[in-house]
Amino acid sequence: MRPDDLDRSEILMFLNTPSLDENLSAVLDTCIERLCAAAQPRTIYRVLPVVHTETGVTLGGLPLQGADIALHLTGCKEAVLLAATLSAPVDALIRRASVTDMTQAIMYDAVAGAAVERVCNDLEAEIREKYPYPYYTARFSAGYGDFPITQQGELVRLLDATRKIGLTVTPAQTLLPMKSVTAVIGMSHEPVKDARRFGCGNSCEECPYNETCPMVGRADSR
Amino acid sequence: MDFRSLLLNEFVFLDGGMGTMLHLKPGELPERLNLTEPERVAAVHKAYAEAGSQIVYANTFGANPLKLAGTGVDPAESIKAAVQLAKDAVGEGVCVALDIGPTGQLLPPAGQMTFEAAYDSFRVMCEAGAEAGADLIVIETMSDLLETKAAVLAAKEATDLPVIVTMTFTENGRTFTGCPVSAAAMTLEGLGASAIGINCSLGPKEILPMIQEMARWTTLPLIAKANAGLPDPVTGEYYLTPEEFADLMPAFAESGVQFFGGCCGTTPDFIRAIRQKLNLLHRGRRCFPRQAAVCSGTRTVLLDMPRIIGERINPTGKKRMKQALLDGDFDYLRGEAISQTEAGADILDVNVGTPGINEAEVLPQAVQAILEVTDLPLQLDSSDPAALEAALRIYPGKPIVNSVNGKAESLKTVLPLVRHYGAAIVGLTLDENGIPTSAAERFGIGERILKEAQQLGIPKEDVFLDCLTLTASTGENGPSETLRAVRRVREELGLQTVLGVSNISFGLPNRPLINRNFLCMALTNGLTLPIMNPMAEGMTDTVRAYRMLAGFDVNCENFIAAYQDAGAPSAAAPQKSNENLTLEGAVIHGLRQDAARLTLEALQTHAPLAVVNDMLIPALDAVGADYESGKVFLPQLIQAATAAQSAFGVIKQHMTSQGGDNADKGKIIVATVQGDVHDIGKNIVRLLLENYGYDVIDLGKDVPPQKIVDAAIANQVKLVGLSALMTTTVGAMEETIKLLHQQYPECKTVVGGAVLTGDYAETIGADCYAKDAKATVDYAKTVYEPQ
Repeated sequence: MRPDDLDRSEILMFLNTPSLDENLSAVLDTCIERLCAAAQPRTIYRVLPVVHTETGVTLGGLPLQGADIALHLTGCKEAVLLAATLSAPVDALIRRASVTDMTQAIMYDAVAGAAVERVCNDLEAEIREKYPYPYYTARFSAGYGDFPITQQGELVRLLDATRKIGLTVTPAQTLLPMKSVTAVIGMSHEPVKDARRFGCGNSCEECPYNETCPMVGRADSR
Repeated sequence: MDFRSLLLNEFVFLDGGMGTMLHLKPGELPERLNLTEPERVAAVHKAYAEAGSQIVYANTFGANPLKLAGTGVDPAESIKAAVQLAKDAVGEGVCVALDIGPTGQLLPPAGQMTFEAAYDSFRVMCEAGAEAGADLIVIETMSDLLETKAAVLAAKEATDLPVIVTMTFTENGRTFTGCPVSAAAMTLEGLGASAIGINCSLGPKEILPMIQEMARWTTLPLIAKANAGLPDPVTGEYYLTPEEFADLMPAFAESGVQFFGGCCGTTPDFIRAIRQKLNLLHRGRRCFPRQAAVCSGTRTVLLDMPRIIGERINPTGKKRMKQALLDGDFDYLRGEAISQTEAGADILDVNVGTPGINEAEVLPQAVQAILEVTDLPLQLDSSDPAALEAALRIYPGKPIVNSVNGKAESLKTVLPLVRHYGAAIVGLTLDENGIPTSAAERFGIGERILKEAQQLGIPKEDVFLDCLTLTASTGENGPSETLRAVRRVREELGLQTVLGVSNISFGLPNRPLINRNFLCMALTNGLTLPIMNPMAEGMTDTVRAYRMLAGFDVNCENFIAAYQDAGAPSAAAPQKSNENLTLEGAVIHGLRQDAARLTLEALQTHAPLAVVNDMLIPALDAVGADYESGKVFLPQLIQAATAAQSAFGVIKQHMTSQGGDNADKGKIIVATVQGDVHDIGKNIVRLLLENYGYDVIDLGKDVPPQKIVDAAIANQVKLVGLSALMTTTVGAMEETIKLLHQQYPECKTVVGGAVLTGDYAETIGADCYAKDAKATVDYAKTVYEPQ
């Protein structure tokens, strides 16, 4: 991963700031460089059959819970299940900075957020080239809308991601290494009109987190 | 068939993939099949035995209590059925192994599962496997060295069965958790594995160089169980045919590999093909001499040249360190670990021995805290065998134990620990009669320690001798006797030599000068492991220069790398120095070094409390107000806070040295709740609270509710701050608040974290919801300084 691969405006968004002064900008440059050197991005994905049932939807035989994920995959016969991680050294970098310099720690955290997005984008582009579908939904993750985060472990197991890319899930369903993502992307020959177009699937206006969420107002939600 | 007699064979043939052969349907749990469809599993074993496998792995890879929780499958029952059905399927001539895979969770520093939880789960498996009559225990597909260690210890401590271990590596020669082949090899050999190797990971072609690397780091028989090539990214199918796979095996045999099998994508046809291919071939000779080396879970340090052991983590003579240990403030230790690592230490000594501290409890905690921030191998330093054992158990890798001495009692208690856990040991050349004056007598004790260690099976390379530095002021011949002993140990015994360098100057003026010169003399006389302060001026420089001048630094590469950038700007924020800068200005602009310098100046003329209340707090308030009104943002706020933090560091140091009043406004506990491992928000809150003069007790992350309550009561805090970032852990937050209300109702709670809202905070009974760190500080003020 190279520093140029990262979207600086996205990093600033994660930092909850519109801009940085010269000093902080220089700190950010160093953090970006070091994080890129430390990151070992690993990804895995499977294209799995989607079956809509009376109670919802299954992916590769695994029933996915909640109405949102079923809507997200409306009309899809197949979907991609993917996982991506920046791997353990990034967590170590953030841990060290948390002791020596919190300014760098929050910057690493933000840079890592942008880096894992980038890794997912690249993987998605690769997938789109390989499969003949004209329409792909946005990435939808456990924890978005009413798709419960408690399915994280099942998704990781379905991908055999612990063995394949070293991704684990804690009993509280946290992915470790920490800078990691799992997501479902619907594939379709028709536009999926019910798909959740942006991230969490919530509408910003009604969202209980709209006071603290860095993404507020940055995307159309439904 | 007995495993030990199999070892006499030129080659031993294992089995291939189990999952591949079971053709699992979606959601089907392999371990359940042992009970529900035993014939399906037995058919696989039978096919492998017919193909020529001499050891088959029972279908128990995932039969771990932690993995089977909630599935309704009892691990012990599944294991007993699996071993029995395998034995029945393959008959007398084939060994049946209990197969142990990873738990699927990470241990520290990367994860949060405790060593004990991992150990206990493996122990359940081992006991069931042994009871069912397994011939050996296989631990495979491991990535985390500490988890692997837990499994090996469980196997060795619960059974008498031979244990063989294979780990899985990625294309960079490390496991997912960063463990290099060398560290895996030396650690597993030290723990008493009967054979080690590599499984899964990649195809044979990719694994070959790694197994060749492993051969350099161990004398144990080697195992190769590769996947059938790399999987196709689209279909997930493996591409090598049995013949293609087998064609790659002679290179493994040539490299000295004795155990052959396959992993993902391999079938009985692969085993048949391998057997055919290796028929009539011989195993290559392995002629790598044993090397002295130590490691952590992620770094190997080869002791092929003088290496620096950092001495700073030791409370002797250090008030701040003592206080930090008594307070359980491991961040102070972490800070020392980072500074020494950056200053050029190769190994860190860890000593927590101070009155009022239970070393057996604190040493392992300290070790774990330090390994969160450094990958250097550690030297566990204690005279308490219980503390040594507690730390040895949870140490990922091969540490050094400091120390044993020539006393019968010491040899009897410490050496068996070193042997059991596969550590290296520092022997102090003293005994019941004290420290001998002459080099000859010290050498004699050293020889005796070496002999005792070797008799227990500790390899010679793992015995290091400390010929003891006595302060130069006690006698003019002292230093030269020490050096003479060092020279003899190095030349006649060929062992690593250790000295605590700075003892030499105790009680004398200009200690740094003496230390540097003695260090140089000692290195010249064969000192290989100086225990020293790597941050002390000229000390690390001396070692680097010595390495270069003594021919250890090819093309002076390391020396040049260390010094060519001297004077270049550091990675921290560029510091703009300004003559007219005030302390307030330094804080507001986030200038750490200036803030520290100006605080020192202010303390000349102002009382510490005045500096805090009249300079630091107003500056922080100004930044805080700008933050709230949207003039500055989080990075600037944090930067100002870190500048203030460096100012507080100076004030604390000043007050520790002067005694006198405490500037703290009161104690506050902060913690990330049980189950939650995201702690960056909590760390920001802590930083800001400290800025405002609160004495923050940071209990860390993943903290059980009762532990938080106990700490709150013990410290009589008025306020507990709790952070949760996951919907799944808010329950633990609620539980913590409930317990606090029951057991310590006068304590207030403030909560925050991404998944919380004001309404929700109220629902779970919190006194305050803080949307950010600044809001937490504001609430703390209302609790501690009511108007």
